[in-house]
Amino acid sequence: MFSFLKWKKKKKNSDNQQEKSPIQSTDKLSNNIETSLTLNLEVIKQRTGNSTDFVIRPVNLGQHPKVKTTIVYIKGLVDNQTVNDFLIEAMITNPTLQEQITQQEVVDMIVKDVVAVGGIKKLSDWDELFTELMSGNTIIFIEGISVALSVSTQGGERRSIQESTTNVSIRGSKEAFTESIGTNIAMVRRIINTPDLWIESMKIGKMTKTDVSIMYINGIARNEIIEEVRKRLKKIDIDGVLESGFIEQLIEDQTNTTFPTIHHTDRPDGVAGNLLEGRIAIFVNGTPFVLIVPALFIDFFQSPEDYYERFDISSAIRLLRTIIFFISLIGPAVYIAATTFQQEMIPTKLAIIIANQRESVPFPAFIEALIMEITFEILREAGIRMPKAIGSTISIVGALVIGQAAIQAGIVSPVMVIVVSMTAIASFATPSYAVAISARLVRFIFMFSAATFGFYGMILVFIILVVHLSSLRSFGVPYMTPLAPFIREEAEDTIVRRPLWGYKKRPKMISGRNKVKQGENQKPNPPQPRTMTNSANEKGD
Amino acid sequence: MSRKSISLYLIIASISFLSGCWSQKELNELAIISATSIDKNEEGQYVKTIQLINPSNVAGGLQGGGGGQSPAVTVYSVTGDSVLEAHFNASSKISRKLYHAHANLIVFSEEVAQEDGIEDVLDAFERDPEIRPTARVVIAHNTKAGDLLKSLTAVDKIPAEKVNGTLEFTEQYRGTNLEVTLQDVIKTLTSEGKEPVISGFSIKGDIEQGKKMDNILKSEQDTTLETDGLAIFKEGKLIDWYQEDMAKGVIWILDKIKQTDVELDRDGKKNAIVYNVIRQKTEVSADTKHDMPTITINVRAEGDIREVRTSINLKDPKVILELEKELEEKIKKLLEDTVMRTQQNKTDIFGFGEEVHRSNPEKWKKLKSDWNDNYFSNLNVEVKVEAFVRRSGLRTNSYFSEMKDK
Repeated sequence: MFSFLKWKKKKKNSDNQQEKSPIQSTDKLSNNIETSLTLNLEVIKQRTGNSTDFVIRPVNLGQHPKVKTTIVYIKGLVDNQTVNDFLIEAMITNPTLQEQITQQEVVDMIVKDVVAVGGIKKLSDWDELFTELMSGNTIIFIEGISVALSVSTQGGERRSIQESTTNVSIRGSKEAFTESIGTNIAMVRRIINTPDLWIESMKIGKMTKTDVSIMYINGIARNEIIEEVRKRLKKIDIDGVLESGFIEQLIEDQTNTTFPTIHHTDRPDGVAGNLLEGRIAIFVNGTPFVLIVPALFIDFFQSPEDYYERFDISSAIRLLRTIIFFISLIGPAVYIAATTFQQEMIPTKLAIIIANQRESVPFPAFIEALIMEITFEILREAGIRMPKAIGSTISIVGALVIGQAAIQAGIVSPVMVIVVSMTAIASFATPSYAVAISARLVRFIFMFSAATFGFYGMILVFIILVVHLSSLRSFGVPYMTPLAPFIREEAEDTIVRRPLWGYKKRPKMISGRNKVKQGENQKPNPPQPRTMTNSANEKGD
Repeated sequence: MSRKSISLYLIIASISFLSGCWSQKELNELAIISATSIDKNEEGQYVKTIQLINPSNVAGGLQGGGGGQSPAVTVYSVTGDSVLEAHFNASSKISRKLYHAHANLIVFSEEVAQEDGIEDVLDAFERDPEIRPTARVVIAHNTKAGDLLKSLTAVDKIPAEKVNGTLEFTEQYRGTNLEVTLQDVIKTLTSEGKEPVISGFSIKGDIEQGKKMDNILKSEQDTTLETDGLAIFKEGKLIDWYQEDMAKGVIWILDKIKQTDVELDRDGKKNAIVYNVIRQKTEVSADTKHDMPTITINVRAEGDIREVRTSINLKDPKVILELEKELEEKIKKLLEDTVMRTQQNKTDIFGFGEEVHRSNPEKWKKLKSDWNDNYFSNLNVEVKVEAFVRRSGLRTNSYFSEMKDK
């Protein structure tokens, strides 16, 4: 079935190779930077097709004879203030450069005395030069020398740090990641101030050359998993990485599943918490969503906030989420099974009410449920894709047409609308969109099974689902850990949560050498109220 | 995934569609039965009467519309030589699939119960997978079972619900009726040394009037359904009806009394003091040392004084003790009368035989063949009653005492 896809892939590869060759042929002389300034500028113009956003600014240094230099940068990628004040102005006005100097001395002088910018680097290689240029650095060419200087001037317009819109929290840090990988990494560094927070960077994507960094805490993360992440990332050979989803789909363990085996979040505190458990974060430039591996099924039902609230409240909320997940999974299926197969399960009075409402409905319950579910999915999709300005139309059309007219026309029964609405609300309340979306798909399978075999069919599908989930793995860790394989201490942090002082160890299957999370006797042990008042009285006397 | 496994999945998937809709039935394609009854006609055929719920006339809400205009139930009567045949014959009259799982009431006519015995018809009900073993069984008293289902009721629009509700509350507050389910009846029928009792129901008023919608549009219904006595069975056949105090006595000995009232006479005034039993425990024990077993009934009742129609000093412990004595006597008499009448009927509805069996299985083997007719009717039954007055409501002494003092 997939054989034609393979063939397509091969063709793609050969296309790439053909594309590559003409570029290399233009670079016929060598990969090294020339001594001639005009020749170098010519190469740049040729390689970039004379793109208009390249700024080429000649600057002359020294008096007799003048040393010709040229500054090259890309408009918008650089911080204009840095380039103007600390580079161009410094070079023009710097007194040391007013004297007579040789071309050879200029390089060292610029590096040491002139440029008032932190990062500066000597380049002699065109590939390296273009990478620097594209990432927003400024290049200085000097006449007569086969070395170019790269000055770190990255900047330009970027979205500032804002509150997360996808993972909203009531308590806890409000900031969310931005599209800039540097900012994102710094945000995590600000939370975890240990030198053991290690970062490895690489560029992925032949064309986009996207910055990808993996972050982990040395000693807490398991070396085998780090090695596996490195290996899988290195294997990626793709033209572009536009979002972390590209990386996710190329490195996940199992592709034949609707369930996500890689977690993603846009909250720095979420990433920090996961790093402390020994997980590995993968940052991708250009997206606020950071990948976290390995991910377990139960992780998708948890929110960083669970640990900020006290354990009893968090436990109640987690139980609620479990119920919510089941409602969003089997809500309509239960309705179908109960009304078409196991009517004896419905209390008599409810059965009469449903029978009355269904009296005029022309479709079987399954078709009715399918119509409503699909209508709802259409509404939801429209709500997401529609321009915000006309967004309110959707709610009016949805509420009036579906809620009122369809019921009054007798096409669907009010009970069905209640069931579908409950399911919809439940699927919105699942903390992870990735799991909510897979529950949406699996829901239809449950509906089919309920329509063919009733509750018996639902149980069958449920068994298959559990078997499937248990067979999944995320970077070698069984997906259903700590429920299957069952790990007692960790299972207490699944659908309920232990008090914070009860967490002595990090997750067994995920973390590396350093397993101890906190010291002994972390349970608060305040003095008894009686002794406290007594001592206060004694002091007073 | 290989081509093979994909085709395997497809085959499995198509199987589920091939078998599709097996035993599938939409809720609105069902005729939901609320009650069934069995009568016998002159030709000796069974007459099965089915009370169907008209969902649109019961439920309120937007679509209900017609509710109140037309009856909540529709009744069909069908005949057949057997219960099942009658059931199948019903399909010639009803456009939907008959659905028994929500039927909570089974009515047998007095005739069937007296002449053939209920065991003749119970098997058909027990065997049917759709019929709930927890459905309540009642006997139609002084009326045809079918007519009992045809009468419309107010408040509870579905007559079966009204019957069940009435049974439940008379058992709880009056102690003269008993909720008996299908499985209870079968259990007591088959057990040695116990005979069933089943509550009776009757129609008060004109039967034809009860069928009309007009009946429930009035503030006072012309025709109502009421509990009516307790049917006493012997070997599956109805032999006697107990009413009021007699019925209460049976339920008391069966330890099913939850709340009831006991009246005392005082100062020449009848029913001057009313005692409300709120807790009671009745234990039956058998002494099998002698040839003829002795049965002891131990009653321990607790309750309040809830009505006083005479001047009595309820603050005085001695008076309370006096009252307790009188209550004990009264209850004792009630139970003894009940036992005596039942012994005359020669049917062990109290389960004394079970008690003998439990305390002396060897002896029971000798007694059981002639238990009802010989031994039960000649048993020595001793009744011991302890009654306690716990409270006297919101008042202690009645205003009668103050009026007298004036």
